[in-house]
Amino acid sequence: MPVSLVTAQAYLAASAALGLFLGWLVAPIAGWVVFSLALVGQLAYHLRHWFLIDRWSRAPSPAADLDGTGIWYEPFFRVYRHERELRREIGHLQGEVERFATAGQALNDGIVALDLTGRIEWCNRSAERYLGISRRTDLGQPIINLVRQPAFVAYLNAGDFAEPLRFRSDRNDGASLSIRVTDYGPDRQLIQVKDVTQAERLDQMRRDFVANVSHELRTPLTVLSGFLETLREMELTAEERSHYLALMTEQSDRMLRLVQDLLTLSSIESAPPPSEDQRVDAAALVNKLFQDAHALSAGRHDIRLESRGSGDLRGEESEIASALGNLVSNAVRYTPDGGRITLRWAIGPEGAEFAVEDSGIGIDPLHIPRLTERFYRVDRGRSRESGGTGLGLSIVKHALSRHQASLDIRSTPGQGSCFTARFPASRVMAADEVGSA
Amino acid sequence: MSEHVQHVIRAFDEELNRLRTHVLEMGGLVESQIQAATDAYHTGEIKVVADIVAADKKVNDFEQMIDDECVQVIAKRQPAAFDLRLIMGVSKIVTNLERAGDEAKKIAKGARRLHERGQFMAPGDAIDVRHVASMAVTMLRQALDAFARMDTAAAVEVIRSDDDVDVGFKAIIRQLVTFMMEDPRTISGAMDVIWIARSVERIGDHATNIAEQVIYIAEGRDIRHPPKEKKA
Repeated sequence: MPVSLVTAQAYLAASAALGLFLGWLVAPIAGWVVFSLALVGQLAYHLRHWFLIDRWSRAPSPAADLDGTGIWYEPFFRVYRHERELRREIGHLQGEVERFATAGQALNDGIVALDLTGRIEWCNRSAERYLGISRRTDLGQPIINLVRQPAFVAYLNAGDFAEPLRFRSDRNDGASLSIRVTDYGPDRQLIQVKDVTQAERLDQMRRDFVANVSHELRTPLTVLSGFLETLREMELTAEERSHYLALMTEQSDRMLRLVQDLLTLSSIESAPPPSEDQRVDAAALVNKLFQDAHALSAGRHDIRLESRGSGDLRGEESEIASALGNLVSNAVRYTPDGGRITLRWAIGPEGAEFAVEDSGIGIDPLHIPRLTERFYRVDRGRSRESGGTGLGLSIVKHALSRHQASLDIRSTPGQGSCFTARFPASRVMAADEVGSA
Repeated sequence: MSEHVQHVIRAFDEELNRLRTHVLEMGGLVESQIQAATDAYHTGEIKVVADIVAADKKVNDFEQMIDDECVQVIAKRQPAAFDLRLIMGVSKIVTNLERAGDEAKKIAKGARRLHERGQFMAPGDAIDVRHVASMAVTMLRQALDAFARMDTAAAVEVIRSDDDVDVGFKAIIRQLVTFMMEDPRTISGAMDVIWIARSVERIGDHATNIAEQVIYIAEGRDIRHPPKEKKA
């Protein structure tokens, strides 16, 4: 039996005893009066505590005190403690839930949780972006009300989720999305959305690359083997022979160039990042490019050089030379006779810029974003006729991006193009700076 | 829906929700039809035209089914207030969607005519209807989103952007007129493009009508044919 209860019983017993004693000593009425007063006191004491707990329980909170005395002390304390622990646990769980929600938010993949009728219960930010839904307005909305593409609706209704669904989003700039649906919990579904635009493009590029390489190699090879057969099986005059041999040389040169370009590309791709403190003599390089342009053009074009500022570049000389050289030779090749080609070189502490401007045939803006793709050609016939392999600009872009440089292409069809390679300040070495040249 | 008072009869709620979902499903079909049609026009891949024409049949079936559902709900539940407006609005939205689907079919057929004839105005490229078409498709998408969310602010936005589509349409017409004046041989091709552009412009109008119905459903305000204000 708790001590407090014993105390309370002792109080009652003591007041009863005092009442009896006074009743016997003075008069019975005096005894009753004393005993009643003691009971009234007791009642007041309990009422006060009833009042306390009544007030507290209207808004139970560990912040408000709940102090009882005597017999009320312990029950008050236990209720108070229970409340406090409950609060702490709720706070803890809330933190946990929030942590999970934050983790869900941080995912790159989109996540949507659906209830049993296909309504959105929760989604993360990526899902909002991919599917064009919003947590603010769309919770409780059937998902097919908002993601309405027939392919998606059919997939969700069919309920066969063994294979992921791929479809083109109509919101996110036509991104390709891959959708996976998993059942979880009783009658609930989780939709995972992944952006596979890049992966799809990469796949396509790989397929195209293999197909293109095979095609590019087969064409000259067919010509070669055809001539070989002719040479072996037919009686030819010396003149015919030499003519055929010349044609065969031309074709084998083309193959050689192609393989050379492929090797350059793969060596650029696999080489370690270019050094930061190797000096590339910019003035000499630009002069050499200028002379090369003259040699290639053989007087068919009006070629000019404008050079501004002083300083050198940091990086791998062979890569930079091959990148800029490709730009120059492209300009010469695609500018009709009598056209003008301007090489512009500017270098300063804020960066360097090499621009090749020509008055050539120009490029339709449609093609510009794809120009640096391997084997992408604006005009197949023309490119091959001028000896192009279709890899030049890929090499340029790769070599430049390894030096954190960018390639900017501007062009107006029929008026000419301007290819600009921009090197950042970190790739410029002042003339007086010491480097290992 | 949560934003409106639930009915005592749950089946009624479900019927209304099913109605909305059917409308939006039909809308999704029309959206993708328009998208496919304009793609076919630009890429010249006219194989999909048959699919688009076939999808139009589905759209028509949807229209009939939804209209039937509307009649059923009215007969069975005698709806009032929001529910009545929803049903009236839905039946008008469905009509507009069906017509937008017809326009998509016209675009697809026009594209097939143009590409089969293999003759275009400017050498090598189609007149760029893409810009206006994507505006119109976006309008329709936003109108349907507004319907799903009962979002009147978004609906107002849709109604406002119809002017841009009209401006784009007029620009295309001007461009085509120039072509036709320069070279009369382009006239038959240009006429086809005009019809396509016209269909795109109509799709924008249908989207506007849908947005107006959304406002009517949500607020009970009929904002069609506003009194002409002073024109700037």
